[in-house]
Amino acid sequence: MTNLVKAELQKLFTTRLWWILLIVLLLLTGVFLAFFIGFAGVENNGAAGIPATDDPKWAQLAWTTGAQMSWIMVMILGVIMMTSEFRYQTITGTFLTTPRRSQVIVAKLVSGLVVGALYALAVLVFQALVVIPTVLISGGELSLAESRIPQISLGILVSTALYAVFGIGLGALVRNQIAGIVGAIVWTYIIESIFTAIPALQGVGKWLPGGASNALMSIDIDTGLGVPHWLPAWGGALVLVGYGLLFAAVASATTVRRDIT
Amino acid sequence: MTAIEIKNLVKSFGAVKAVDDVSFSVEAGSVTGFLGPNGAGKTTTLRSLLGLVTPDSGEALVNGRPYTSLAAPLTEVGAVLEATSFHPGRTARNHLRIMCTAAGLPAKRADEALDQVGLADAANKRVLGFSLGMRQRLALASALLGSPKVYILDEPANGLDPAGIEWLRGFLRHLAHDDGAAVLVSSHVLSEVEQTVDNVVIIAKGRLVRQGSLAELTTNGGEVIRVRTVKAAELAPALEAAGAQVESVDDGVLRVRGLDTEAIGQVALDQRIVLTEVAQERSDLQKVFLELTEGR
Ligand SMILES: Nc1ncnc2c1ncn2[C@@H]1O[C@H](COP(=O)(O)OP(=O)(O)O)[C@@H](O)[C@H]1O
Ligand SMILES: [Mg+2]
Repeated sequence: MTNLVKAELQKLFTTRLWWILLIVLLLLTGVFLAFFIGFAGVENNGAAGIPATDDPKWAQLAWTTGAQMSWIMVMILGVIMMTSEFRYQTITGTFLTTPRRSQVIVAKLVSGLVVGALYALAVLVFQALVVIPTVLISGGELSLAESRIPQISLGILVSTALYAVFGIGLGALVRNQIAGIVGAIVWTYIIESIFTAIPALQGVGKWLPGGASNALMSIDIDTGLGVPHWLPAWGGALVLVGYGLLFAAVASATTVRRDIT
Repeated sequence: MTAIEIKNLVKSFGAVKAVDDVSFSVEAGSVTGFLGPNGAGKTTTLRSLLGLVTPDSGEALVNGRPYTSLAAPLTEVGAVLEATSFHPGRTARNHLRIMCTAAGLPAKRADEALDQVGLADAANKRVLGFSLGMRQRLALASALLGSPKVYILDEPANGLDPAGIEWLRGFLRHLAHDDGAAVLVSSHVLSEVEQTVDNVVIIAKGRLVRQGSLAELTTNGGEVIRVRTVKAAELAPALEAAGAQVESVDDGVLRVRGLDTEAIGQVALDQRIVLTEVAQERSDLQKVFLELTEGR
């Protein structure tokens, strides 16, 4: 099994996709961080807007910047890990080498978790390099506990890793690369955003992977739409793992018995 | 043990019966040509043999076992399927190295296999720029990684230039006759494999129509000797008296069955008849192939 996971990672790192997606992810995170810095402390018609950079709440908010972008990019990565095998018919060689197909699926899921976690780490390091100096320059004090940085970091790490699994499951289900990528973007960027951002829909949104990920990070900052009500962190973790298992089951159910012609 | 064994294989795709009760086997040390027109069911048969397609009924075994139950399949079976099954952005060497990693083979096998198929110079090139012929060679290299003793090749000559086809023929003969491997090679073009194969299996519309050695197929129903003489009318009864079946063709030509050339010469000498031609008739394999596969 270690050999198979290594082979899957080798597949990923011998084409250009991984670094292109990573650069896009860091660029977008940078753009959003710039936005959070630029609009820090600006009041929203008298209501609470983005906190000032010396407020511990700002560091908390800024530390979540890359989360959604990480989910999107990693889900796309997972989709492509699966669909490119069908697009280029490399699945034939993969199954000739490892005819026990469920082993291939498990190896893909494990390597997806690994790569998702690596992307999350890259984003967290990048955020630290921007957020810490910003707080210190504005005369604030960085309090890890008050800004909940350890919990948010762990939340991003775990949720991002799991989005790779969601992507692999989606890719196995649709098999068409474009459909899979569009599906991943529409899901994470539009559907989940709507259900997690609009308070009236959060009753549903908190049960979606995005809402569960937010629960894991325990984000409770009011940026103008009211304080969101997520599941408790452990509940979010359970829901996320549940989705992970569901997508893993979808990936193997759709692949293990199918004729490869 | 029989290297490849297919027993009563049946596979339908919806209403299309792609393979309909096909049985044959391939022994070590021989090259078997798996022939049939496009759509005959060759690819479906080979993919069933490799565990990629699940047959409706029947068995397809390699070294006595289903492919999916082989512990280290690359070391038992080398397969070449589509020429296009590579990621265009990956180099030839990396493609093979990934297979080595997954199969637990040493990474150096990748370079050795590339060398064997004459692709060493292109090892670090991305497959994107490869010609169809180079892709076929790369596919063959992937089949060689585990140094197996059974080879299953689906239309490997597709896209090769004449020199490439000549090279492939030599290579397959070498694998079978020098290394003792069992080679099963499919083609819809008889002439591609005619000079390479020891045995042939012919299918059409999913059904097996003929199998046997190449010699058996060309001497379709017993040896025929073609005899030309001006005294055909006298020779024919004499040959029949000697136990032959004789068919008279126009222009003083007889087609004789049941006697060899020496016996025919003796009869002619006894009758003091001059023969102007005595030749063993080989049926044109291409004609046989067309006859067997047409109208089915
Ligand atoms: N995945 C598939 N779905 C539907 N029909 C198929 C599929 N694969 C093959 N067929 C049909 O099965 C028959 C045999 O095809 P194939 O095995 O590819 O033949 P060959 O390799 O001899 O050209 C053809 O009629 C083909 O159209
Ligand atoms: Mg075919």
